Amino acid sequence: MLTDLLQSTDGGVFLIIQDSASCCGRDLLKSFISYALHRDEAVHVLGFEVSEDEMKDGLKGSQIQRLRFHNAHTDPLGWNDEKTFTVQQFSLEALRHLVEQTSHPKPAALVIDSLSWILRHHSPSIVCRTLDQLRKGGTVRAVIGLLHADMHQRGTVGSVCHLATSVITVAPGMKGDEAVAKMTKRSKSGKVVQDVSSDSLSIILFFSAVKKVYFLYPQEEIFSIRDDLTVITQSRPSPPGLRPTEPAEQEMDPTAKLTFNLRLSGAEREAKEKLSLPFVFSKEKKTALLHSVPGSGKILYEPDANDDFDDEDPDDDLDV
Amino acid sequence: MYAELNSILNTCPDRVTQGEFILVSDRRSDASFLLHHFLSLYLRARCRVCFVALVQSFSHYSCISQRLGLSLTQAREKGQLTFLEGLTESLSVLLPPETDAGSGAMDFLRDPAVGLRSLYEFVRSSVSRADGAGEDWGPPVLLVDDLSVLLSLGVSVGAVLDFSHYCRAAVCSQLKGNAVMLTRCDGEEEADEGDDEGPERLLKGLTHQCSLALHVQGLPTGFCRDIHGQLEVCWRRRRRDEPHTHRKLFQYKVNDKGASFFARGTSSAVL
Repeated sequence: MLTDLLQSTDGGVFLIIQDSASCCGRDLLKSFISYALHRDEAVHVLGFEVSEDEMKDGLKGSQIQRLRFHNAHTDPLGWNDEKTFTVQQFSLEALRHLVEQTSHPKPAALVIDSLSWILRHHSPSIVCRTLDQLRKGGTVRAVIGLLHADMHQRGTVGSVCHLATSVITVAPGMKGDEAVAKMTKRSKSGKVVQDVSSDSLSIILFFSAVKKVYFLYPQEEIFSIRDDLTVITQSRPSPPGLRPTEPAEQEMDPTAKLTFNLRLSGAEREAKEKLSLPFVFSKEKKTALLHSVPGSGKILYEPDANDDFDDEDPDDDLDV
Repeated sequence: MYAELNSILNTCPDRVTQGEFILVSDRRSDASFLLHHFLSLYLRARCRVCFVALVQSFSHYSCISQRLGLSLTQAREKGQLTFLEGLTESLSVLLPPETDAGSGAMDFLRDPAVGLRSLYEFVRSSVSRADGAGEDWGPPVLLVDDLSVLLSLGVSVGAVLDFSHYCRAAVCSQLKGNAVMLTRCDGEEEADEGDDEGPERLLKGLTHQCSLALHVQGLPTGFCRDIHGQLEVCWRRRRRDEPHTHRKLFQYKVNDKGASFFARGTSSAVL
């Protein structure tokens, strides 16, 4: 599904990549830019968080012509009095003006890095309204935004993601260069569609007043990004109970560099397993103790009148 | 500077990486020994260093640097080091000035709600100062000790993140220098909602901005005389020509003249 999202050319798309401090989503964002440039689309990047050089790092030569970087990184608050884009200018008209600066036959894609920067300086309602109007307006084919989910309240994240047609949440994977992408896609259809895959949840919400069906299904995939920004996806991860808590690193063999030998050969291992331990009470030892060896003394017992015989002897069931 | 940490980070005074924003953080521990490492590394690499010291005096850093073989007084006289002593500068804000006021860098103490624009302007003028008669120093480096104390002085988390963003844009992106900032937390790590205005949110925000994060914590099993804590190194930016490792965990011990770093379980006291 991640590959479908990367290669999709649908219109009216609003895609959010949610990341956290433990896993950065910017590489995936750059992959989306790279795939769009490969399809000969124009891409506008509104860059707050990283500089133009860092954003273009990894993108190949000829495609960069179609990438238009709007610098909001060096002076987003106007402290230096540079004539670059400031966060206060974030509005529908300003964004339309940015995108219409290039003349390209197809509607462009707008990438915002990051939505968290804007949400720190504008209220969530203004941001949501602006993005929704932009998406429905038709000036851009797709709006792709990076959101740091751990920097905002859950309600803010939920409100912004509610507007999105797709949300990809990245989390660290088991190995160093892998990550897990959890995707939720929202589509409108006139009919009820059942999801047939066995290990993903499908929740069908039916609004009878509006007569539309929203179909949400979160899916998980493991992916890794190569140096040329292509994305390689793998099969779905194992259930959470089997996943180790720490990423598996290449463990060093502790017996490797010692001056003495800690390893066992096959014969040594067999001999070790045959050895019976001195204080373990095995069956052979028990029978040897109970049955007296011929030649040793015998004990003859004749009960006295004072001896107390109890018919209900609690020691009878002892297995000695 | 500590040789083992240089090999972990793959740097040395002759070959410092440029454009890095390094975040040094700690949780219920003290990561300031890492700041001394970076201070001595960049001074030895002949970079022009701007040090914003908000929690300790100049003589404190000078004493420790002498043990690492450097003289901060000499570096300041030669013009290689610009030192903002926050503690003494703040007095000029709080007490009526007898002479002309200082650099204005600590003016945010008068009204913390205004933000840290004046502090940023001090930093910018220090790193971009062109030395006419001075020696030819290398790329600029900014060191800040520490950012979380600004929260205690009434500055909001958003204002501190704006300040660190501007410093990164000016020093790392435009001037191709490096920035090293220290921030501290004193609580347990919680999966909270991100609406608190405390050091946890500041730490997360700075982690998103940085390209290399060094996090220092005590050992989870408790106090140990021979191992002072653990250090987590997290590379956030993809590095060319190097195997892409995200994070590594080490243990360390701080000595009188330095610190030693080793893989977990391989302390010399144990082996």
